[in-house]
Amino acid sequence: MIARSLHWRLLAGAAAAILLALCVAWLFMTLLFERHLERRLEAELTRDGLRLVAALELGPGQVPVIDPAPMDPRLQTPAGGYYWQVSTAAGAARSRSLWDADLPAPERAPTGDWRLRHVDGPYGEQVSVLERLVVPDANGPGVLVQLAQDRAPLAAARNEFGRELALFLGVLWLVLSAAAWLQVRLGLRPLGRIRGGLPLLRDSARARLPEAHLREIQPLTEAINALADARERDLALARHRAADLAHGLKTPLSAIAAQSRRAREDGAVQAADGLDRAVAAIRRTIDAELAYARAATIRRAPGGDADVRTVVEQLVTVIEHTDQGGQLAFTVDIPPSLRLSVQPEDLSEIVGAVLENAARHARRQVRVSGHAGPQWTALTIEDDGPGFPADRIDHLLSRGGRLDESGSGLGLSIARELAEATAGRLTLSASPLGGALVRFDWSAG
Amino acid sequence: MRCLIVEDDPDIQADLRRALEASGFVVDAASDGNDAWFLGDTEEYDAVVLDLGLPGLDGLSVLRRWRASGRACPVIVLSARGDWTEKVEGIEAGADDYMGKPFQMGELVARVRGLLRREAGRTSNVVAIGKLRLDTTRMSATFDGAPAHLSPLEFRLLDHLAHSPERAVSAGELAEHLYGIADAGDTNAIEAIVARLRRKFGADVIATRRGFGYLLGVSP
Repeated sequence: MIARSLHWRLLAGAAAAILLALCVAWLFMTLLFERHLERRLEAELTRDGLRLVAALELGPGQVPVIDPAPMDPRLQTPAGGYYWQVSTAAGAARSRSLWDADLPAPERAPTGDWRLRHVDGPYGEQVSVLERLVVPDANGPGVLVQLAQDRAPLAAARNEFGRELALFLGVLWLVLSAAAWLQVRLGLRPLGRIRGGLPLLRDSARARLPEAHLREIQPLTEAINALADARERDLALARHRAADLAHGLKTPLSAIAAQSRRAREDGAVQAADGLDRAVAAIRRTIDAELAYARAATIRRAPGGDADVRTVVEQLVTVIEHTDQGGQLAFTVDIPPSLRLSVQPEDLSEIVGAVLENAARHARRQVRVSGHAGPQWTALTIEDDGPGFPADRIDHLLSRGGRLDESGSGLGLSIARELAEATAGRLTLSASPLGGALVRFDWSAG
Repeated sequence: MRCLIVEDDPDIQADLRRALEASGFVVDAASDGNDAWFLGDTEEYDAVVLDLGLPGLDGLSVLRRWRASGRACPVIVLSARGDWTEKVEGIEAGADDYMGKPFQMGELVARVRGLLRREAGRTSNVVAIGKLRLDTTRMSATFDGAPAHLSPLEFRLLDHLAHSPERAVSAGELAEHLYGIADAGDTNAIEAIVARLRRKFGADVIATRRGFGYLLGVSP
């Protein structure tokens, strides 16, 4: 889990680093504490040593005497953990705590200053011994002054300190790890937001991620948005290339039609007929493939905002310029506020094909009406022509189906294909005007 | 009759030329946008066949420049892309008709003749109806000084009303005038045209005399 999660990796890294730092801190602080204890011990021994020296006298036969003897209770208890001993070659005086044991003598006693060393004590314990050779009488022998203290309380204090410190540092580690967890969570949150925005980008080529306002995240959102720009450009390019392909084929097709006319004038009527049929078939294929390419592009990049009435009025204006359209009465009954989330050029293709069909079959009138409810938009195109033969409606909507085999316009099937690409539905029925009624329904998404 | 063909494909251009010459036209041809613009701007033509995909200057720009400099000759646009957006652009740029490629030559010639019929046989006359001015020569209209689009049917309806001043014309009479032999259902079409004209130019462009018929509005 840790290896596959950035969150856990960061958290594990932070926790390990904090743990290492706290361990080093524990070692260092314990060491400092031990040194502090050592210095306290040395200071205590030195103070008591100076008192001993002050109370030192040489008795008869050069035997050292301490008077008055120090009063520390540890010195009065046998094996009490604190000892002193003053000795010459002639004899020695020692604390009561030493009883009849001797402090170990140094190989060479220091004369100038006190010296501290650690040795095995008289009762099997580890002791720190402070010692010095003093000469109380210029003519007398040197007296070795020794003080020793058991190191066990020092080790106990150090161990207790170490335990308590470890406990405290452990709690600190937990708190810092929790803080690191929170930091990682908050730090990764912008990435989560980007991930949340990506489905929108996938669904629509026009969607973009919002500005991140974070210096570290902004390049990422910019890069993703640049990718989305490139995708939208590619889609537009694909659409243009499809249109260019159609253009590229249609012009030579017109040239072939010209050759066909020439052949017909030269008397090759059969050849001309064959050419004409081939040209018509290729043209139908181009129109259909162009429409399917457009439908695929719409599916990949849905969305848009079309002013339905403006689009329909423009189409009606175009059709009114044709001979047939100029003889028809058009009624456009669409509220000016009616909008549809479809690209205007796509809506033009969807409605244009149907409107042209209606104009071709109408006798006097064509009516386009639009309605919108809270959850749907409907657009109907009806005429007063002969209408759809009831038994052929399924055929009309099938791929490549057409009412009028000689007609050059796109079939209703293509209008349906495009309408479905925009999440709409096309139905055919009879109009109260007497002719055909084509109805588009879009449910508001 | 002079006709200008603007088409960059030599085969199609030759074919158009032969077809139109066979129909009695005197034909000039241009194969790029700049030549076309120059010819159309300096010579008088009775009709122009204009391909939109041209080298140099594209067909739509050529058409817009002609219209901007007041050239009103009828133009039929040939469009290879053939999508509705392009048709809308063509008509809005001032084309009188459009045909998608590839086209039937017979249909094209018929449409050119149709455009000429619309042009011909009209006495030079400008009828003013309030802010609406109908130019019956050019079969064009302006509303409040700006060019307005009228379909041939709308134009004929207004024309008929304009020639029957101060008399309410019944829907039946209008239907007969527009359609020849009319039946009862055709009066609905007349109502639709009147509604469309009112939407375009305001409710008072045509007044209704209940029980009698329609009358051109006498708005100031």
